[in-house]
Amino acid sequence: MKNILELNSVSMIYGPVKALHDVTLNVREGEWVAIMGSSGSGKTTMMNIVGCMNKATHGTVFLDGEKISRLNAKDLTAIRRDKIGLIFQQFHVISYLTAVENVMIAQYYHSMADEQEALEALERVGLGHRARHLPRQLSGGEQQRLCIARALINHPKLILADEPTGNLDEANQEIVMDIFHQLHGQGSTIVVVTHSPDVASHAQRVVRLEFGRMVREEQPVERHVA
Amino acid sequence: MNRKTMYLKIILSSLIRRRSRMMVALLAVAIGATVFLGMGSVYYDIPRQMGREFRSYGANMILAPSGTDAAMRLEDARRAERLVAEAKLVGATPFRYETMYYNMQGLTVVGTDMVAVRKTSPYWRIQGDWPVEADQILLGTDIAENARLYAGTSITLECIPAGGKKFKKEFKVSGIVRSGGPEDSFVLMPLKTLESLMGKPSMVSVVEMSIAASSEELALLAERIQAEVPGVSPRPVKRIMNSEAAVLAKLQVLVYLVTVIVLFLTMICVGTTMMTVVMERRKEIGLKKAIGAENKSVIGEFLGEGMVLAAIGGLLGVGTGYFFAQAVSISVFGRGVSPPLFLVAFTLVASLVVTVLASLLPAARATDVEPSLVLRGE
Amino acid sequence: MFFRMIFGAVTRQKQKLLMMACTMALGISLATAMLNVMLDVGDKVNQELKTYGANIMVEPRGASILSDLYGVREGAGVSGKFLFEAELPKMKTIFWAFNIVDFTPYLEVQARVNASEAPVAMVGTWFSKHLDIPTGESVDTGVINLKSWWEIRGAWLKDADESGVMAGAAFAARNKLKEGDTITVAVRDREGRERAAELTIRSVYHAGDKEDDGLLAPLAVVQRLSRLEGKVDRVEVSALTTPENDLARRAAQNPHSLSRHEWEIWYCTAYVSAIAYQIDEVLTDSRAKAVLQVAASEGAILQKTQLLMLLLTVLSLACSALAISNLVTANVMERSTEIGLLKALGASDGQISLVVLTEMLFATALGGVVGYLVGIGLAQIIGQSVFGSAVAAKGLVIPLIAVLVLVVTVGGSLPAIRMLLRLRPTEVLHGS
Repeated sequence: MKNILELNSVSMIYGPVKALHDVTLNVREGEWVAIMGSSGSGKTTMMNIVGCMNKATHGTVFLDGEKISRLNAKDLTAIRRDKIGLIFQQFHVISYLTAVENVMIAQYYHSMADEQEALEALERVGLGHRARHLPRQLSGGEQQRLCIARALINHPKLILADEPTGNLDEANQEIVMDIFHQLHGQGSTIVVVTHSPDVASHAQRVVRLEFGRMVREEQPVERHVA
Repeated sequence: MNRKTMYLKIILSSLIRRRSRMMVALLAVAIGATVFLGMGSVYYDIPRQMGREFRSYGANMILAPSGTDAAMRLEDARRAERLVAEAKLVGATPFRYETMYYNMQGLTVVGTDMVAVRKTSPYWRIQGDWPVEADQILLGTDIAENARLYAGTSITLECIPAGGKKFKKEFKVSGIVRSGGPEDSFVLMPLKTLESLMGKPSMVSVVEMSIAASSEELALLAERIQAEVPGVSPRPVKRIMNSEAAVLAKLQVLVYLVTVIVLFLTMICVGTTMMTVVMERRKEIGLKKAIGAENKSVIGEFLGEGMVLAAIGGLLGVGTGYFFAQAVSISVFGRGVSPPLFLVAFTLVASLVVTVLASLLPAARATDVEPSLVLRGE
Repeated sequence: MFFRMIFGAVTRQKQKLLMMACTMALGISLATAMLNVMLDVGDKVNQELKTYGANIMVEPRGASILSDLYGVREGAGVSGKFLFEAELPKMKTIFWAFNIVDFTPYLEVQARVNASEAPVAMVGTWFSKHLDIPTGESVDTGVINLKSWWEIRGAWLKDADESGVMAGAAFAARNKLKEGDTITVAVRDREGRERAAELTIRSVYHAGDKEDDGLLAPLAVVQRLSRLEGKVDRVEVSALTTPENDLARRAAQNPHSLSRHEWEIWYCTAYVSAIAYQIDEVLTDSRAKAVLQVAASEGAILQKTQLLMLLLTVLSLACSALAISNLVTANVMERSTEIGLLKALGASDGQISLVVLTEMLFATALGGVVGYLVGIGLAQIIGQSVFGSAVAAKGLVIPLIAVLVLVVTVGGSLPAIRMLLRLRPTEVLHGS
């Protein structure tokens, strides 16, 4: 299987701070990888680089065969739009748009807003009945599911989730993890950045970061069955 | 759903569902437009309105007999009057001077139009009443004081018409006139009465005209009268004309400066309010960028919102600005004002420019920031 | 803790608060400038209206009726009543001395020029006379200041130039005279003796009035020719006055009809009639009259201008107050998350309001001080460029501004704070 994501000796330096130090990582198509680490381990930095929101200071990054480490901001935006589905810890949504509109806006920026398709995406994350509600009328779990629906809508090559369950209770965490399993089953490539071993345990492969270095790559301790 | 509909949906949702914020922005734009149109109309209208006020100084053009004649025909003077645009002519009053005697003492008796004179000499103070009957007269305050006469008494004057016989006539003093000028020692009676006593009807010594016009206009008018009406020589009253030009110019500059300062500061206020409202949305901009919006889409949306706000706020402001100008004009000058159309168009354009600029500047700045910084940082 | 929170907010939100303070400064500078100009505009326009010339005429008591016959001024000596030149500086010692801007005496005689029979009106006056006032001050006053609308071909005469004379445009044209020509002027005195002098025409004036048909010479020259040394037959006074009201009108009819209290008010207000009355008090046998054409019109224009400025000020203040309180609202709204957090942390509504209000007041107070100073500057710019003189910074403006700042800030913050407090903390924290 071909690599969707390739990081070769990537370093990130903020002034005197070395946030990432010579990280090399390959993610194959259809793979589910968890990047684990405590606060300050550099996982957010890594997430930003992979998510095309920051550029690495050293090293090269390939996404779907394209070298993205030296692209300018405009091209990065295009990559983000076409190839990546982002899910944030603080389920960012646009407060004045309804759930379905929040999905549609991603379509709109990508190509064409299609309400039917957006409704189906919400259906898939179990929010079909909440499509016309504004974000403030949704619970935290529902908001996060809305974000997942939005991340999926343009069929991204890579789903990138930053602590997707960080603000959720256990029940909602289960729901979100179930959706991830479904996606994975359908062949999506997923990268989850987390500090929680529980969340990481769902992945096929766990990468551990400590002080900006990749310390080891390990198989998850315990295999969950969805 | 096509792109345009989605674009409109985004903009309208933002405007309608973020109601309280948008009201704030709308209010700001409307205030700006109000001040713009209101101050603009007042400034535009000031010279005309103030010019009228300055007519309280009385006549600024005198028609005198030409050459060495002592009198001119009233008809000629009327022809000269007709050369003045009706809207600009505040008043025209004929005067005829004769000498009569009271207790063997010579007095200047002035025959005039007792209605028109109130327009050309609004500063006269009358103690008593204006004459209505043919045998009623006004006495100058100095004469009244000397002769110990007052309103309601009678006075007998001796008249000697040219080539006629001397006779006596009794007049009723209807009022005492005080002006601090030569009128204080005149006897004033209706022109018709004087004509019937002294003969030579329809002849006058002087016509005083009060015209709401600038000194250039007056000079042109004087030339025209000179050329078109023989027998009449027009003389602009330099003192009134020049002083008025000087003071009016100052007042205009004053209102101009005040207008400019008020407009400038109001526009900045509107701008900062818009900026605050937009700056609040940095996170939203970051999110839109993170899910793949290009800078120009994000800016396009703010442009759209700004234009809708500017249009609504501008129209609201035009309405209230009209009342602003109306209120000022009516309470100061007692006359209404109609803002010229170009000023309305100007107001709308100005609100558009200020609103769009003020929302685009911070939006553009926010789009320059890496989305990761906006989304993570709190 | 309260102070630490304020301190934190102020130092960390520097940019936003700075923007607020800046806008506040703009608004306040507008208010300060407008208020200062408004409060001073009366005085300034009053000064400008002095270009209309004298608003008070002083004549010897009992003289007017005889000499004012239309067109036939019978010349000096007929009434035999005069004012004394030596007394004139006393006018600058009356209660409203400071309001007397300019004055000049006239002495008019009939003269024969170059032995022709037709008499010509020759007026003696001060051009720019230096006077030492009994109070120790000194002033320069004369006809130059009073007749600003005259057009002079050449230059005004000097008071000390005893061989010079100015000719009216009409007189000069009729007699084909021009600057530099020398004429012989003869004046008959009251006993019928004639005195003559050779005078050189220094310049020609165009007044647009009957003065154009005459001569203008230094007062001393005319007094010497007519043997009326030290005497003048009328004085024109230009004074800054307050627009007349009912009281002033009644006083103008008869000052003695006023009650003691009214009389005091009238006497101590710069009504034209009060100033005229005070001039009567210091000049022997004089009768000062308000020239209503100037005095009354002045009042009308002044009132209109003041009302106009007042309305413009009030309306633009209302607008800028609204705009600024709107900005404050926008600023408070922006902080929904912070307020939600404070609420979630258990802060009471009162505490939150206090924190936000204090912060806003801090920003606006800062802006207010800067704005006041800028506003004084703006007022000066207006004063200098319109009237060519500084606008007095009135102390009254400061408390007005302070109240305005307070009302605007509190009025702008409270509705927004109340609105945000009504939200549940979770809503604020969840909905981005």
